[in-house]
Amino acid sequence: MKGNGFKIGTIVFFLGLTIWYLMPTIQLTLEQRYMNNMPEAERIAYENENRVKLQNLQERSLSLGLDLQGGMQVTLEVGTPQLLIELAGDFADEDLEDVIRIAAERSFDQRTDLVDEVVAEFESRDPNARLSRYYRSDSENITRRSTNAEIATYLKQQRDEAVDRAMEIIRTRVDRYGVTEPSIMKQGENRIIVELPGVDDEQRVRDLLRGTARLEFRLAADPDELNSARTNILSYFDQLVEEEELEVNVLRENLITQTGNTYAFGVAAGPDTASVNRILEREDFQERLPRNTTLLWGASPYAQSNGIDMFELIGVRSQIELTGDVISEARVAFDPNTNVPEVSMTMNTEGARRWARITGANIGRPVAIILDNHVFSYPVVRSRINNGRSSISGLGGLTEAEDLVNILLSGALPAPLDIIEERTVGATLGEASIRAGFFSVLFGLIFVAFFMILYYHAGGAIADLALLLNIIFILGILAGFQATLTLPGIAGIVLTIGMAVDANVLIFDRIREELRAGKTLRAAIDNGYSNAMSAIIDANVTTFFVGIILYSFGIGPIKGFAVTLMAGIAASLFSAIVITRVVVDYLTREKTAKLSFG
Amino acid sequence: MRWFETPNYDFIGTQRITAVISGALVVLSLVAIFGLGLNYGIDFRGGKEYVFQFDQAVSVIDVRSELTEPLGAQPEVRRYGVDTEIMIRTDAEGEITEVRGVIESALSSMYPDNPYTVIKTDVVGPRFAEDLRIAALNSVIFALAIVFIYILIRFKKWYFSAGAVAALFHDVVIVLGIFTVLAEFAPFDVTIGQSLIAAFLTIVGYSLNDTVVVFDRIRENSIIYKTMEFKKMINKSLNDTLSRTVITSVTTLFVVSVLFIFGGEVLKGFAFALVVGVILGTYSSLFVASALVVLLESKRLEAKSS
Repeated sequence: MKGNGFKIGTIVFFLGLTIWYLMPTIQLTLEQRYMNNMPEAERIAYENENRVKLQNLQERSLSLGLDLQGGMQVTLEVGTPQLLIELAGDFADEDLEDVIRIAAERSFDQRTDLVDEVVAEFESRDPNARLSRYYRSDSENITRRSTNAEIATYLKQQRDEAVDRAMEIIRTRVDRYGVTEPSIMKQGENRIIVELPGVDDEQRVRDLLRGTARLEFRLAADPDELNSARTNILSYFDQLVEEEELEVNVLRENLITQTGNTYAFGVAAGPDTASVNRILEREDFQERLPRNTTLLWGASPYAQSNGIDMFELIGVRSQIELTGDVISEARVAFDPNTNVPEVSMTMNTEGARRWARITGANIGRPVAIILDNHVFSYPVVRSRINNGRSSISGLGGLTEAEDLVNILLSGALPAPLDIIEERTVGATLGEASIRAGFFSVLFGLIFVAFFMILYYHAGGAIADLALLLNIIFILGILAGFQATLTLPGIAGIVLTIGMAVDANVLIFDRIREELRAGKTLRAAIDNGYSNAMSAIIDANVTTFFVGIILYSFGIGPIKGFAVTLMAGIAASLFSAIVITRVVVDYLTREKTAKLSFG
Repeated sequence: MRWFETPNYDFIGTQRITAVISGALVVLSLVAIFGLGLNYGIDFRGGKEYVFQFDQAVSVIDVRSELTEPLGAQPEVRRYGVDTEIMIRTDAEGEITEVRGVIESALSSMYPDNPYTVIKTDVVGPRFAEDLRIAALNSVIFALAIVFIYILIRFKKWYFSAGAVAALFHDVVIVLGIFTVLAEFAPFDVTIGQSLIAAFLTIVGYSLNDTVVVFDRIRENSIIYKTMEFKKMINKSLNDTLSRTVITSVTTLFVVSVLFIFGGEVLKGFAFALVVGVILGTYSSLFVASALVVLLESKRLEAKSS
């Protein structure tokens, strides 16, 4: 019995700790049950009254993984190649783009750092050339004389900063979107994992996360120039069609339609825009366009024809007058005449000054407001605008306007983000999984408990007590470490139920052996526990290692499995060795005491 | 109740038979794996996977053939547990929204009076899938290496490590083989993905648990019965621990079977791997790991005496 005072102390301590960590979860569950029984209106009032308390409970309680409560997980990759091109700014040329493209392929194939590959590829072309031809930065002291190694360091630092900045921006956007308990984590060098519980509007989330909201103000193209270019191109294409180059037919058919809009180059049906784009990129097309002119699609359909949306191809100047950087404030507003939602923007002092100059110099001409390469509107400037106000109309609705405000205010992403993984689980599937997990735990527990009593009698009952506490401990550990309970995590608990009794099986079998050898009950118990110890430790340490490996490799749900597996090992060691020992010792405290191990 | 109280089976004596069985299973599995190729799931191959829940039953064959043309290639379509739920997996390129739109419009026109909801989607880019695949392979190799080193440290003799790792390799390869062969017939998802790797590592952990308990007994017995013949001593250790091996296998096998039956469609493949793995793990710690230890030890003694 010696030392049991300490053991009992530890048991009480850990039990207390577990209950402390699980308390918020229990309270929250009770609150939710209470609230579910209320009528709708009363519930909302109750929720508003107790918002702080509920949120507090939510934060401290055991959270469920996306696979159990439903939601969306997205892994984004920061487009480093584009970032490197953008960092070069006006210095970027085709050579650089080529170098980066080849380096990107190689860095992917060989899993090397992209920046290192860029430097290697660049130097392999001309060993004496300097990357400082492309990259300058006053603040980082990167000058014409910087070595390639210095520039490599600078570029890597820029990349890391870009990822961090992208994370910040995404966090802001997600917070504004309003998701309870979102999780945004960096993974590896340039990846960001976003977990959004309860989200089911996937397209909206995708747009929100990737939205660059590159806002530009450009002057519209000269209508006369545009028109003569159009006539010219049409006759050129007629000729091509005669020469049986049929590809251009798509554009020709689309261009023939006139809308009466002097700034529209042509109209195309939604499904046709992709093939029209291919033709727009052709060199023979580009060189026939007026200088300093770019063609961009309108954002909203111009008209409908046979139920298909038709989009205008609008001519604007290539030169960008003003970009979204100058926007200091944005909010949703409603057009006073039509009551259609739009986004109203205010510019900072510098932007307002330039905006005043641009509008002042172009009275009577349209200024196109372009978002992510789509023309949203091109209102004619009536007078010089001094207060730095502007607005974006032609949006799809209130949600789109709200999301656009969100994106504009959270700032522009430093580089484009690609979605490289996306997973969603519907709430119904999550509920089914919770049910399935619950029944698995229940049935597993009942069977193992019965079996242990059947096989080890009183000893088995003690092991069952330990098993029950074990599960409570696992949940406590999960809550304490703020881990998430996932479906594989529940599987881990079920598996632990089967394996946790192992330590007791080892001990009880040893005790039986000792009893067979003719030892007294007390001696058999002492020897049984001590002889089984090394096997128990070895077996559990190795499994624990496996858990660690699983944790470091896995993502999302699998990590959850690894966590419960490890928590299960720790808890089962404690309950099987310490708790059962205390109980067994207590029951055999008298010399004449009897305790059956079956 | 007492099972195997003082058993005295000749485990090492059956070596020849079990070696043939194990060898054949491993070879067949390897043939299946290399012949048919590993049946990678979405995690390791990339692509787009959707689970649709309909109101009424739908035909997997019809959906497959109807979707082939719009998607540009035949998608994989199978039942997801019940008649009303199907899983569609496609490698079709294109924007996430577009591909899903193509599938949804085809399904809507096929079953205009049978509404559906999408209950699960997984979209994994090919490069990301490659990363996951490499990480998974590394983790399995790393796990085996750690096990080898730990056993080497704890049991001091390399052939214990070799025996344990060979048993684990045996288990994992056979489970992989079974999954490869079942690819065509299984009514649940037997593709190889992240959750299956988790199952593998669990099998590794479980099988190791069994093996280590036996080794621990061997270590203990080798001190108590110094004069006993090595082979006999190992056999005795296997018998000494047999009761424990069987009891733990029974409880574990039961809970993983519960998981397989009640754990829901998401966990089916994972739980199935565990069921097979627990059986194999028990078998391999009784017949493979120790047999190999005996074999390696006798080879070593021969080399020493000659």
